[in-house]
Amino acid sequence: MKRAPTPPQSLWQAFQAELANIFTDRAVLLVIVGGLLFYAVLYPLPYQKNVPGEQAIAVIDHDRTHLARKLLRMADATPQIRVAARPDSMLEAETLLANNAVHGLLVIPSNFERDVYRGRPTSLSFAGDASYFLIYGNVVEGLLTAATTLSVETQIVASLMKGESAAQIPGQVMPVRLINKPAFNPTSGYINYIVPAVFVLILHQTLLIAAGSVTIKDRARRLLGRPAAPLHLALPLRVMTFVLIYLLFAMLYFGFFFQLYGIPHQASPWTLLLFSLLFFTTTSLFALWLGALLPRPELVTVIVLVSSLPIVFTAGFAWPAENLPAWLDYLTLLIPAKPGIQGFLALNQLGTPLTSLGREVAILVGLCLLYGGGLIYLMRNQARRRARNAAYDHPAPSSAWGTAVDE
Amino acid sequence: MKPTRLDGWQALRCQPWLLALVVWLPPLLTLMFIALFASGTPKSLPVGVVDLDHSTESRAYLRHLDASPALALDHPYPSAYEGSAALQRGDILALVIVPPEFGRELRLSISPESVAFYNSQYLLAGKFIASALTQANFSFSAKAGVALRLGRGYSLPDAIAAAAPVRPQITALYNAGMSYALFLVTSIMPALWQILIVVATVLTLSWRLEQASLPAGFAARSRALWQLMAPLSLILWLQGLIMLGMFSVFLGWRPEGNILWLVAGMALMVMAVQSMATLILSLVANKVRALSLCAAYLAPAFAFMGMTFPRGDMNMLARWWGNLMPSTHYMELQVAVADHGASLQTLALPLAALLVFLVPLALAIPALPQQMVIDPAEEVPS
Repeated sequence: MKRAPTPPQSLWQAFQAELANIFTDRAVLLVIVGGLLFYAVLYPLPYQKNVPGEQAIAVIDHDRTHLARKLLRMADATPQIRVAARPDSMLEAETLLANNAVHGLLVIPSNFERDVYRGRPTSLSFAGDASYFLIYGNVVEGLLTAATTLSVETQIVASLMKGESAAQIPGQVMPVRLINKPAFNPTSGYINYIVPAVFVLILHQTLLIAAGSVTIKDRARRLLGRPAAPLHLALPLRVMTFVLIYLLFAMLYFGFFFQLYGIPHQASPWTLLLFSLLFFTTTSLFALWLGALLPRPELVTVIVLVSSLPIVFTAGFAWPAENLPAWLDYLTLLIPAKPGIQGFLALNQLGTPLTSLGREVAILVGLCLLYGGGLIYLMRNQARRRARNAAYDHPAPSSAWGTAVDE
Repeated sequence: MKPTRLDGWQALRCQPWLLALVVWLPPLLTLMFIALFASGTPKSLPVGVVDLDHSTESRAYLRHLDASPALALDHPYPSAYEGSAALQRGDILALVIVPPEFGRELRLSISPESVAFYNSQYLLAGKFIASALTQANFSFSAKAGVALRLGRGYSLPDAIAAAAPVRPQITALYNAGMSYALFLVTSIMPALWQILIVVATVLTLSWRLEQASLPAGFAARSRALWQLMAPLSLILWLQGLIMLGMFSVFLGWRPEGNILWLVAGMALMVMAVQSMATLILSLVANKVRALSLCAAYLAPAFAFMGMTFPRGDMNMLARWWGNLMPSTHYMELQVAVADHGASLQTLALPLAALLVFLVPLALAIPALPQQMVIDPAEEVPS
C-alpha cells in the first residue's frame, strides 16, 4: 500500500490542499466558472425586451358606425394591443385564436353607437387568451383602457349637452380616482423582476454542486487512505475558500451583470458584502452537510436540478409567500436559498436597511448552526466507523473498492 | 453483487435513487405544486392603509376595497412614512393613501384622488393587487356616481345608465376562472417532468456503462440500449399520463381537443429528452459532467417555453435556444390540444419538432463510450 509520507498538517498546507481539490477538478470548474458565466447570460435572455409588446387582437364589428371605428382606433393606439384581424364571424375568430394568430377578441354589438348616444347602457364583449396570463393581462388592460376612454368621453359630452356645471363633471365621470403607482420596479420590467431573484438561486445551486461534490470526493479519498488534512482544518478552510470564491462571483453578478442589464439596485456595497458573507457561509455549510450525507457526487446535481423549480415558486417572489400553505412555507425555510432571495431582494431591490432584516438574518444564522452541527455530527460518525472497521479487518482492501451496485 | 441482467428493471432495482426519481417523486411533486397554488388566485394580500381623512366616506371607501377577496386592508399606518417603511420591509405588498378632504371632495363631486403604491418588484402580486384595487375603485365609483346623480334628481335608471354608459364584459378564454393553479401547475409540471426524464436517462445509461461494456456494432448496441431504456421510457410516459390525470382530478383541467394527440406527444417527448440525454453523455463520457451539461441545457426550460413571458416577445437568440428544448414544443402541443382544441394542422408542427429530436440518437448511439469506470477516489462506497 502506497502512502504519501506526510499528510498536510499545517494550516497553509491544508489550505493549499483545499485549493488543489477545487482547481484541479474539471467537473467543479465546469460548474463554478463555466456554469456561473453561462447562466448569467442565459437566464436573462428571454426577457431582454423587459415588457411584452403589443399583442394581436381580432375585432368583430357588428355596428360599423363612426363611434365603433373610433373605439377601434383607440384600442389600436394603446401600447398593449394592435388590431391584427377583422374576421366576419365568430367561427373565423375562434380559428384565429386557436392558431395563435391573435390572443384577444373584441366584439362591438350592433346598435352600439345608437345606444351610447341615447344613454342606454351597452356592453362591449372582450375575450382574452388566458392560456398565457401575461398576454391576457395585456389584452384586457388595453381593451379596458380604450373602453374607459370612450366611456369617459361620451359621459362628458352627455353631461355638457344636459347643461350641467363643468366644475362637477370630473366627479360625475369618476367620483373617486385611484392612481396606481409601481414602487421599486418603475417600468414593471420582467428582467428586473426575475433576474435579481434567479441570480441568487444560481449562486446557491452552483455552490451546492461544487462544494457538495468536492466534499464527497474528499471523503472518498480519505477512505482510500490517501493523505488529507485533518478535518478540523479542512472543513473550515473549505467553507472559507468557497465563500471567498463566491464573494467574487457575487461582485460580478450584483455589480457587473446588474449594470449590464440595467437592473436598479440600492444596497451599499458594504451591506451587500455583509449579507453575502452570511448567505454564502450558510449555503457552504449546507453544501458540505449534503456532501457528508450523499455517497456520489452526481447526486448533488440531481437534487439541485429537481429542487430548482420548487424553490423558485416557494421563495415568495413569483408567487406571494402569504398564499403558500403554512407547512410548505416553513419547510422551504430550511433551504438557504429562500431567506437568501428574500434578503437580497429586500436589500438591493426594495432598499430595506440591513437593520430591518432581522428575520432573514436570524433564519440564516439558525441554518448555519443546524447544518454546521449536522456536518460535525456526520463527520464524527463516519470517522468513528472508519476507525472501528480498521480495527476489525485491517487492512480492509475490498471495502474501499466497493462499486455503486452494492448500495 | 453483480447484476445478471442489464436491463432497465435491473437498473431500477439496483439504484434506489433512480427508483425514487421515476416512481414516487413525480406524483409527489405534482401534489406539492397543486398544494402550493391551492388558493387558485392570490387571496387576502396584505395592503397597508394611511387614512388622512377619517371621514365616513373614507371609511366606507376603505371598507369597500377591503371587501375584494384579493385584498386584506387590515394594516393601518398613522402616516405615509411608516407605511412606506412597511412596504420596503415587505410587510405589505401595497399602500393605499386616502387624501385629506376625501369625503368633502366626494360630496362636492370634484373627484378626490387616492394613491396606491404597489410592490412591482414582486410583479405578479403587484399587478394583481393593482388590478384588484382598480376594479374595487371602479365599483365604488359607480355606486357613488349613482348616489350623486340621484341626489341631483335623476331617476334611478337614468342615473345608472349615466354612471356607466359602456360596460365591458370580459371573458377569459380557455381558463374561465383565471385560476393561477391551472395555469401554473400545468406548465411547471411538464418542465419538471422533462428534468426528471433527463436525469433518469443519464443515471441509467451511466449505470449500464459502469456494469459492463456495450456491445460493438450499431444493431447490437441499439438492442442493448432498447432493453435498458424501454422500461424507463414506459414508466416516465406513464408518469406523464398520471400527471394529466391529476390535473383533471385536482385542478378541473378539461382538455378541449382530442387527448390522444397529447398522449402520443408525451411519448415523443419522453423519447426526445432521452435522445438528448444520450447525446450529452456520448459527448462528455462522464456522468457528473453530463449532468452538469443537462442542468445548463434544461434547468431554465420553464423560462423559455413562453407560458409566463410570451415567446413572440423574446429575441431571436432566446427563441432559438427555446426551440432546442423538447419542453417548448411539448407545451405548444399541450396548449393547442388542451386549451385551443386546435386543428390537426396546428398540432403537426410541434409533433414534427419533437420527432426531429430523435435524429441525434442515431449519432449518439455509436458515439457512446464503450464502458465507464468508477473512480474509487470519486465515490464513497456504502
